Amino acid sequence: MNIVENFDLFAPRLINKKELLSSGHRACSGCAEVLAVRLMAKALGDNTVIASATGCMEIVSSMFPTTAWEVPWIHVAFENAASVASGIEAGLKALRKKGKIDDRYVKVVGMGGDGATMDIGFQALSGAMERGHDMIYVCFDNEAYMNTGIQRSSGTPMGASTTTAPAGKVSSGQKTWKKNMPEIMVAHAIPYVATVCPSYPLDFIRKMEKAKSIKGPSYIHCFSVCPTGWRCPSQMAVSMGRLAIETGVFPLYEVENGHYRLSPDMPKKLKPIKDYFKGQGRFRHLSAEEIDKIQEKVTVEFNKLKEKEKFLKIGN
Amino acid sequence: MVNLTVDGKNISVSEGTMLLEAIRGAGIAIPTLCAHEAVSRSGACRLCVVEIKKGNRTRIVTSCLYGAEEGLIVDTKSDRVLNVRRLVMELLLARCPESEVLQKLAKELCVESQARFAADTDKGKCILCRSCVRVCEEIVGVSAIGLFARGSQKTVGTPYNEKSDVCIGCGACVYVCPTGHIEMTSTGDKRKIWGRTFKMQTCTKCGKFFAPVDQLKFISKKTGVPLNELTVCTECR
Repeated sequence: MNIVENFDLFAPRLINKKELLSSGHRACSGCAEVLAVRLMAKALGDNTVIASATGCMEIVSSMFPTTAWEVPWIHVAFENAASVASGIEAGLKALRKKGKIDDRYVKVVGMGGDGATMDIGFQALSGAMERGHDMIYVCFDNEAYMNTGIQRSSGTPMGASTTTAPAGKVSSGQKTWKKNMPEIMVAHAIPYVATVCPSYPLDFIRKMEKAKSIKGPSYIHCFSVCPTGWRCPSQMAVSMGRLAIETGVFPLYEVENGHYRLSPDMPKKLKPIKDYFKGQGRFRHLSAEEIDKIQEKVTVEFNKLKEKEKFLKIGN
Repeated sequence: MVNLTVDGKNISVSEGTMLLEAIRGAGIAIPTLCAHEAVSRSGACRLCVVEIKKGNRTRIVTSCLYGAEEGLIVDTKSDRVLNVRRLVMELLLARCPESEVLQKLAKELCVESQARFAADTDKGKCILCRSCVRVCEEIVGVSAIGLFARGSQKTVGTPYNEKSDVCIGCGACVYVCPTGHIEMTSTGDKRKIWGRTFKMQTCTKCGKFFAPVDQLKFISKKTGVPLNELTVCTECR
């Protein structure tokens, strides 16, 4: 697929029309995560098997005895979505060798939330990536354990108020920095790592298609806004995702074999993170000094990324 | 419903389904380059060939253009099919030796470039599948490009290879091209495509260059939405 650079208006009419995640699931209104899952399914197409860790997306899409999935989908425990996905890949390979299944190419996908990826399922994911299975792992990062009631995870950003890291007189929310998961995956030296956001659907679909075309492990980190957990109005989900990218809180980039490329959607000049924090109840308590501290970190991280892109450009 | 047999498997599909969809629905992979669900089929790349049997007669057809019929026996892996597909691939590879997409597909089909087909040097990556022409006509609705000349000289482009007045610079043809032949470069306020340079519109809210001015004028004319409403990019709307 060609690079989607400022494609508008006509290109959206050329993307896959088949819905593989049906409507009628029970996601909250304004959920950006389910939007991301839908776009993922669109980009991957029919020939996909998905192993999903416990989390919002499992709860909302597979209320017994119904299911929203139109592709084979397996629900597994919190910790082993990646191991199950790698097992499916090995199983398909064995069955194909024995001639027991059709010869079509099937992509195996593991998916999980930020808790299932960064905390509980981390070693299973690390192992699967290191073994080099032909699979994609997609992390839907909504920055806390939203499904069980907004508990902090290692994906929760500094300063955010959650039920287990509440803001009050003594504490001002989460005390640690967000774990840089895409960078950890880059350190696994896998062929493809990318960060995506459903607020940029064409960029999302292009990166997903690229991951699909790669024979080997790839990791996609999806930033999904959670209006319920972030205490923001549900109609703000898409614009909140855009603000996260425009302020540099969550930069969009891709890493191919260790070479970086920032997405064309990234602005030249970043907005102040105040704009992003303003609309969210979970950052409401932050003082100006605290915001300045976070702003400094975001700027440093973004400059670091730009430097990496400069020295490790794709094509060099 | 129509019942047919694909590689010994009995399947039933709704009437009017093309063989390509029926076969893919049965879980059998068929390579194609030019079939796209958003536009009409042209059967140009010839990679989706299959062998069909009706009564005692067998023949090779392009599955993307052949409708499913009652009692049809389809073979997607016979020697005859694989031979035809391999030959098509060898010819495509000789036409566009530089296309990465074709090289990858050829590798999957175990095809190497043949010495008996001299490689072309002047064709770029175009396989003349008409995808871009169809998109321009059916999706965009301007018909700025077409195929001209005949035989080995046939090429895709604007009429007489001159700067087109009707082209709106939307880039849908670049998006749909399966081999990446069409070149489009966007730098700042300029977008270059089909030999013409388009001025890009800045979003009145965020200041980003987001679409060619001509494209917005065209959409405004077609839909009746005032131009000043369209000068805000889709992200700020």
